[in-house]
Amino acid sequence: MATLNQRYTLTQSQKMMVFILSMSLYGLSNMITELVPSAYLGPIEFSIEYFAFIPLTLCILFHPLYAAIGASLGEVIFGELMLGQFGGFGELEKFIAFSLAMYVAGTFVRDPKNKLQVGTAAILGVVIHQAISAMVDILKVWVGVEELEAVPGLAESVVVVEGFAFLNDVLFSGILFALLPTLYLVPRLYGKIEPLLGMKPRDRHDRYSLGEIVGPRLIVTGIFLAAAAFLFEYLSEAGFNVEWEADFLEMFGDWFIWVSLGVALIVAIITITFMIKKKSNTNAADQQEEKIPS
Amino acid sequence: MEYTRKFADKLSVEQVKIELLNTAYGNGDTFLAKLDPRTLFIWYLFFGIIPWFIHDVRVLIGMCLFMMVTTYMAKISPLIIFILCLGLLGQGGYLLVVSLFFGGNWTTMLPLLVLTVKLSTISLASISVFCSMNPDKLSDGLLKIKVPGQVSFSIAYGYRMLPTLIEEYHHVFQSFRLRGKTPEKHGFLYIRSIAYFVKIAMLSFYPLLLSTAKSARTTVEALETKGSMYGFNHPEVKKLKLASLKMKRQDYLFLLGSAIYVIALFILL
Repeated sequence: MATLNQRYTLTQSQKMMVFILSMSLYGLSNMITELVPSAYLGPIEFSIEYFAFIPLTLCILFHPLYAAIGASLGEVIFGELMLGQFGGFGELEKFIAFSLAMYVAGTFVRDPKNKLQVGTAAILGVVIHQAISAMVDILKVWVGVEELEAVPGLAESVVVVEGFAFLNDVLFSGILFALLPTLYLVPRLYGKIEPLLGMKPRDRHDRYSLGEIVGPRLIVTGIFLAAAAFLFEYLSEAGFNVEWEADFLEMFGDWFIWVSLGVALIVAIITITFMIKKKSNTNAADQQEEKIPS
Repeated sequence: MEYTRKFADKLSVEQVKIELLNTAYGNGDTFLAKLDPRTLFIWYLFFGIIPWFIHDVRVLIGMCLFMMVTTYMAKISPLIIFILCLGLLGQGGYLLVVSLFFGGNWTTMLPLLVLTVKLSTISLASISVFCSMNPDKLSDGLLKIKVPGQVSFSIAYGYRMLPTLIEEYHHVFQSFRLRGKTPEKHGFLYIRSIAYFVKIAMLSFYPLLLSTAKSARTTVEALETKGSMYGFNHPEVKKLKLASLKMKRQDYLFLLGSAIYVIALFILL
C-alpha cells in the first residue's frame, strides 16, 4: 500500500512510448479528417474539424503533458508536413494552443472512471483550444489589415465570423467528436491499454496536478506557453502600431526589418526556451514502476 | 452513397500512400533541394515573418512575385497550389461577404486583397521551403539547429510508419463494414449514411489504439537497444551524425541574392 500516495511518475522510455502513441494516432486521424470533405448548410459548416477524442482519451489515461505534446507534433508532422501544407510559424500558435488545451483537460481528470469528470474535461479541452484559436484569428486580421478603421464593418465582421465558427465548432465538433467518443473510449480502454505500455493504470490516488512536485513546474510551463502565445501576438500588434503611426516606411525600410528580425529572434528564443524547459521537465527523478509483462 | 464511392475510388489507400511518398521524396533534384537546410531555415525566417509587418502594396507584390519564382523552381505539385488558392479565395471571399452584410462597401476589397497577397506570400514561402526538403534533410536540419532529438526522430518515424498505419486503419475500417449493416435508406441528404460512416471511422480507432500501443512499445524498445536516447543528449554523437551538412557557395549566393532583391524592393519602390 506504499504505492498509493506516490506521485505518478514515468520512466524516460514510458514517456517516449506515450509520446509516440499519441503522435502517430492523432496524426493518422488528422490525415483522415483532412481528406474528408466538409458540408456547408448556409453559414453553418458541418465538417469533421478534428478527432479531438484521441488526444483527450490519451491525456486522460496517461501523463497529459507527453500525450498533449505528442498529439500536437503528430498534427504538425502528419497533417501538415506530409500533405505539403506546412504553415511554418503559423503552426507554432496551433501547437501551443492545442498542447495547452489538451494538457489542461488531462489534468482536470482525477479519476478516469468518473464519467462526469471525463465529460467535463473533454468539453473543456475543446473550448480552450477553440477560444485561443478564435482570438488569434481575430488578432491576425486586425494586425494584418492596415486601414481597419477606414473600412466599415470589417472589424465587426471578423469578430462575428470567428465567434460563430467558435460556437459551431464547440457545439458540433465538440459534442460529436470529443464528448461522446471520449465517454465511450475512456472506460473501455482504462486498465487495458496501460499494461501494453508496461505501466499501471492511473487511479484517483495518483496525482501529478497542483501542489505536487512535478505540478508547479508543469504549471509554470503552461503559463509560460500561454504568455508566449500572447507575447507573440502582442508584439506583432505593437510592430503594426509603430509602423502605422509613422509613414516613413520607404525611407527607413531597413530599420523596420531590424524590428521585425528582433521579433523573429524573440519568437525563436521563446521556442528554444520552451524546448529546453520541456527537456528539463523530462529529467525529473524517474522511478521505475512495477512492470506488468504483456 | 455514390459520392462516397466515387471519392473512395479516386482516393484508394494505395493512391494516398503513393502521393505521400511523392510529396516527401519526389523533388530531390531542384535547386532549392540542393541547398543546406540551415540556408532554407534562415530564408524562411525572413519571408515567413516580415510580410506581416509590411503594408506597402508594391513591396508586397514584389515579394509575392519572388515567392512565385521560388515555388516554380521548387516544382511544387499543382494539387498543393490548387488547395492553397482555394483556401485563400475561400477565406477572403467569406470575410468580404460578411463585411458587405455589415454595411461595408466595395472599398472593403482593397485591404482584403492586401491581406490575401500577404497570406499567399507567406504560404508560398513555407511551401517552397518545406516541400523541397526531404524528411531526412529536414530532420537533420532541425537537429542541427538544436531542436530536441525526439522531434527529428518523430518526423522520420512518421514518414516510415504512416503507410503501415493507414493500411491497418483501412483493414479495421473494412472489417467494421463487413460485420456491420449499412442503413437501408440514405435519409435526408444522405444523413444516415454519413452518420454511419463517421461512426465507424471513430469506432475503428478503438482497436487501433491498442495495436498502436503495442507497436509504440516495440519501437521504444528498439530505440533503447540502439542507444538512441544516448544519442539525443550527447553532442559528440550529433556532431558525427550531422557531419554531412555544410554551407556551400551556392547557399551564400542564394541568401545574398535574396537579400539584394529585398533591399532593391525597398529602395526602388
